[in-house]
Amino acid sequence: MSTDIETPTALLPGEMEVASLIVSALSLETRPEDIPPDEPLFGAGLGLDSIDALELALAISKAYGVQLRSDDERNHRIFSSLRTLTAHIEKHRAR
Amino acid sequence: MTALSRPSHLPASPAATGQRSATADLPAADHSWTKTPERGTDGALRLMLWILRRLGWRAGHLLLYPIAGYFLASSPRQRGHARAYLRRALGRAPGALDLFRLWFAFSSTILDRVFLTSGRTEKYRIEVEGLDALKATLAEGRGCLLLGAHFGSFEALRAVADAGSPVELAVLMHEANARRVQALVTAFGGPRHAEAVIPLGTADAMLRVHEVLARGGMVGLLADRRPHGERVARIPFLAEPAPLPLGPHLLAGMLGAPVMLAFGIWQGPRRYLVRFEPFADPGSPGRGNRDATARERAARYAARLEENCRAHPYNWFNFHDFWEEAR
Repeated sequence: MSTDIETPTALLPGEMEVASLIVSALSLETRPEDIPPDEPLFGAGLGLDSIDALELALAISKAYGVQLRSDDERNHRIFSSLRTLTAHIEKHRAR
Repeated sequence: MTALSRPSHLPASPAATGQRSATADLPAADHSWTKTPERGTDGALRLMLWILRRLGWRAGHLLLYPIAGYFLASSPRQRGHARAYLRRALGRAPGALDLFRLWFAFSSTILDRVFLTSGRTEKYRIEVEGLDALKATLAEGRGCLLLGAHFGSFEALRAVADAGSPVELAVLMHEANARRVQALVTAFGGPRHAEAVIPLGTADAMLRVHEVLARGGMVGLLADRRPHGERVARIPFLAEPAPLPLGPHLLAGMLGAPVMLAFGIWQGPRRYLVRFEPFADPGSPGRGNRDATARERAARYAARLEENCRAHPYNWFNFHDFWEEAR
């Protein structure tokens, strides 16, 4: 079990933006800058569950016009960390 | 701490509150119900398939007496949990006959599962209540969440909901269960429902639910057990607080989908009562109200389930420590 956040990896601006969206959409008590960009969002890492995933997907679609589809085989990778999620959004964003 | 407060997510503290531990992709490891009752189910199912292929339903039905007796005799732990349930549902100390009736009803639904999943319902008498309400809900085009329980037969319910329905029906369930149903269908009935299962525990499970509802379809899920680490609230059920999942109700609120309760009650050999009850109108509670609404709905769900347990006590197929008394 982790204890203190030691020196967190600095987030890139795009990651910071998505991290803020995650925190506000899911009402997390975590600060956006404290989300480790390379660690899993779901399960062991940030501890999000599949209901969070849905809420996050709805928020992402509203904010960026990026539709996350269940039949996308890359979902596992897209959702695997803040970094991969941000990369996916930046590649597909409509606004 | 209430069940609804969001614990801090960093540092991650699995099982810190019992309400939200790390969840999404964990293998079903140590929750008693994910392994114990299903092991028996597996053996019973294999045996049942063998009998049915060679001898037909009637022979299968007669063999249920020794089969139910055998499984009753060989599962002391489940017997203890069943007794705890029956005491509450019957309002008296259960006897050996009560236990046998419970095991017999359970075995019967497994036998019937084989026929119902493969669509061979012609010899069954299935009474249906509330189908018009379900049709009216579906006609609005917003889909419908069907909340069931490990109570009676979900397959009976599915046989009704599916028959002549213009919309799809997907079922959200644990991956291990999904595989089991799939194997059963493959072994006996052809690929009728093979595609209509959404496995729980994947990050995009709820996205798939969302999409089925958006297409106007039905999504069935059993709202009495919590998948690993899901959000729960302790809610009075048969006079004592039991941990019930909030997930299904949070999901319904988030999607604004209409919700109906659905029960497939076993009433005797090849006799079922399938009942659909309006439960919640479409529409999303505001963000701030979402948790309170989920809790309120979980309490109403528990009350309806309780009423069904008292009216049909031998339909309860949760053979684990439902009230978590051992913790």
